[in-house]
Amino acid sequence: MRLSVKSFLCSLCLGTLAVARLSEEFNEELHLRPLPDGKLAARFSFSTLLKGATPRHPETLGVEDESQLYTLFPLALGQILREYAVTELHLTLNAGNWNYDRWGYPDEPGVGTGAELWAWMGEGGTVTVDSRWRGLRNALAGLFCASLGSLDEQRTTSPVLTFQPEGSLPNGNASYQLRHATLPSEHVCTENLTPFLKLLPCKSLSGIASLLNPHKLFDADWHGLGVHVRYLESAGVEVRLAFQAVFDPVRAASDKRRDWSLSAVFDRRIERVCPVARSSVIRVRLPQNEVYAIIPSPSTMDKTYATYIVQEVGKPLDVAIIRPEETLFEYLIEPQTHISVHRTLNGASQHAGQLALTITNNHDIQLQTGYLETMPWLLQFYLHTLHAHIDGMPRDDLVKLISYIPPLPHVQPALLQAVLTLPPKTTLWLTMDVVKPFLAYTEHPPDAQRGWDLPPAVFVPFASQNGSETDSDPQLHAVLSDVRSTRMYTPVLLVDLATPDFSMPYNVIIMSCTLIALIFGMVFNLLTRQFVVVRVGEQSS
Amino acid sequence: MDFIVTFPALVAGRLVLALSPLTHYLRDDHLLSSPLTSYSRLQEGIYLFKHGIDPYSGSTFRHSPLLLSLFSTVIPLNEVTAAFLWTASDALAAWSLVRIWRARQNVSSSSRDSLIAGLYLLNPYTFLPSLGQSTSSFENALCLLSLMLACQKQASASLLALAFLIQLSLPSILLLLPLLLLLISEPTSHLASPFFFKTDIRRITPLAGQFAAYILLLSGAATLVCGNLNWVEKTWGASLTLPDLTPNPGLWWYFFTEMFDHFRPFFLIVFSVHLLIYVLPLCIKFQHDILYACYLLLGILSIFKAYPTLSDPGLFLSMLSLFPETFPYLHHPIVTALLHLHAALLLPLFHYLWLNQGTGNANFFYASTLVFGMANGAALLDSIWAGLRIAIGEVKEEHEVLQE
Repeated sequence: MRLSVKSFLCSLCLGTLAVARLSEEFNEELHLRPLPDGKLAARFSFSTLLKGATPRHPETLGVEDESQLYTLFPLALGQILREYAVTELHLTLNAGNWNYDRWGYPDEPGVGTGAELWAWMGEGGTVTVDSRWRGLRNALAGLFCASLGSLDEQRTTSPVLTFQPEGSLPNGNASYQLRHATLPSEHVCTENLTPFLKLLPCKSLSGIASLLNPHKLFDADWHGLGVHVRYLESAGVEVRLAFQAVFDPVRAASDKRRDWSLSAVFDRRIERVCPVARSSVIRVRLPQNEVYAIIPSPSTMDKTYATYIVQEVGKPLDVAIIRPEETLFEYLIEPQTHISVHRTLNGASQHAGQLALTITNNHDIQLQTGYLETMPWLLQFYLHTLHAHIDGMPRDDLVKLISYIPPLPHVQPALLQAVLTLPPKTTLWLTMDVVKPFLAYTEHPPDAQRGWDLPPAVFVPFASQNGSETDSDPQLHAVLSDVRSTRMYTPVLLVDLATPDFSMPYNVIIMSCTLIALIFGMVFNLLTRQFVVVRVGEQSS
Repeated sequence: MDFIVTFPALVAGRLVLALSPLTHYLRDDHLLSSPLTSYSRLQEGIYLFKHGIDPYSGSTFRHSPLLLSLFSTVIPLNEVTAAFLWTASDALAAWSLVRIWRARQNVSSSSRDSLIAGLYLLNPYTFLPSLGQSTSSFENALCLLSLMLACQKQASASLLALAFLIQLSLPSILLLLPLLLLLISEPTSHLASPFFFKTDIRRITPLAGQFAAYILLLSGAATLVCGNLNWVEKTWGASLTLPDLTPNPGLWWYFFTEMFDHFRPFFLIVFSVHLLIYVLPLCIKFQHDILYACYLLLGILSIFKAYPTLSDPGLFLSMLSLFPETFPYLHHPIVTALLHLHAALLLPLFHYLWLNQGTGNANFFYASTLVFGMANGAALLDSIWAGLRIAIGEVKEEHEVLQE
């Protein structure tokens, strides 16, 4: 009897073990970095690793999926990933324009204004990639309370050159497809942050996440959140939730100084450690060539970074940097990135215009950059008018068109991929004529006169095709290794489309039909009735 | 003045203007070129075609594949060749008009030749679209060429020209029946003495077969050029489904901009079928003078086709010069002329106010297209009236002509 009880307990234990629990790991990090113009960039990164897991293969979509037992990994997101067999997923929701010239490259490259969603999905099975993509964006729209459902076919493209997978794709021989869509008019606010926090194991109760105070975050000059899912062949499936913001300490400070502290910036301190976090780190980039004090004393410190291990330092933790001697702060105004890009839509007319880009190479060496436009059909390119100029001289040889998919109204956006060659220290002017379509009155949004937001263009500076040249030139090599295919987003554009009169449908139907009926009636009157001569005047009466 | 002197002078004058920078300002005008005839869109299509992108996979290019193959292989399209080409097409159209006039009068030359050529070449409605390099100038030239060849009884050439015309613009298929009838009747004026159609109507059957062969041939060639059948939907389909709501002087665009979505297919069918209604009655009523029926149908097309430009009413008004015998019987020529003047001033003004200046709204331009429709309608109705009234001739004092 005793034996049987023992064996029963034993089998119970084994049974529990048989449901293979994947081991999980949660790391959180806050990166704080002073920007050359006195602002403070903060990047929160919460990554959960599901060790040994692989993304669901699309061919298994028909059969019942294995059970999902997670302790740290966000179940709501995990279910979506498995339901639609998504291998890699990137969702960013940003507000404001990232100012590359002043702030340099961001820690998270996805800084396009509005919503941007891109996913790599495997092909095969009974469900097509497009129908899974539709399901994915609708599910994410529900999860993050964002209008991602509007990222429909009219905004979906597949720009594989610019959006390469950041992780690895399982089964090298299977084919994978990219789906990418942007919605620049999406506004990011608290309703998106709340579901974001719910995906974290400690919510915003403890650990670094407790600094995520919506009142302060959405008051920042620039803010954005991101969800990044990727598959790492050696590790497993990683979900990384990121929040990035640019604060203005001067605006918040009473003495108008750029000293900052966690309590001043976030209005909160770290009171408790998130108990399930394997690591919980705050990294502060230290000011260079300045007199400053950093309190409390960090766990480790080198020339560029001070690092706080949250578990080790005393609580409540309130990191601060003070520059006691600074009375005057001078802005650094030289561009912080390799190239500077400005994009404008010229012309006052509501039926035609010109898209103009100025791309400046800030370096002494020749650079190349990928240029991507994913333009909804609200703006249609005249590709034959695409011309490049340098100091007024035509230099069309610097533009190499890689691919172009023309737009189809109500069906697909235009996709333009090109490679630009930028001679050292010069500005390239790129112009292209565009036409603005005319929409039916039901297609206009409620506030039609506001215009339509157009997605940002994306630039990817990359190594020259001539690899040996790159290797032999150490300077070029250094510059390009620094660039490392960082995506640069231009600010969004607003296109002003001609509007019909919205109160007129009945009037127009009535008046046009009247004219047609009038002409029709009179023509048939003339054609069918016989002509007769009648006597008129006094004699007839 | 002698036709041999005036005609080259007029054409040379046109060429000078075509080479001037004026064309740049007129090129994208919505009154002068529609999405189906715009020069910029033609250039875009050729560019895409040359770069290995199917121009019909997008929505910008809606020109015929024949124009695409012509300009991407035989003639390179640039500022200079375009100026010569459009001038040549206008010259061909004016010359055809003069030949039609001669055929109608049954003379080898007449004193009115220069006047008729001038009325085509100097008509602002045909002249400005041609300066704006709208391919509607080609359509006009092909239309007049086809009528001219029909008047001269060159059946095959005429039908081939019509097949080319239909390749460029589907609504011109309305001209098929009157053109076939014209081929088996006389172009000379019989308006004043109506009679029943004498020739055996069955004679048009082989001609219709010949026409069908040409259409099939050209469509086959177009399909070969494109490699697929996308062009059918993008070129011919556009005239039936109105996918592009760019403003034009016609009646369709604002009607379908403002149309409720669930009624759109119904009204598209109504508007397309409505065009067909006129063909048979006009051919029956004017069976004694089929050329006049062709002229009236061009008037119908200029009012009611899906993507008209100013060159469509321009063709109709220039053709009026072929029928001087009807002039004394016109009911209200002053009213028609003033309506046209009114519309011609309002259309560019309100277009500018709405789309460039931003001080007017779409209704202003819509109202001026209605006035333009009325002007064209008045001209059409007056022509029908005069064409029928002429048969009664002068009436005595105290008598009047009425309709029962």
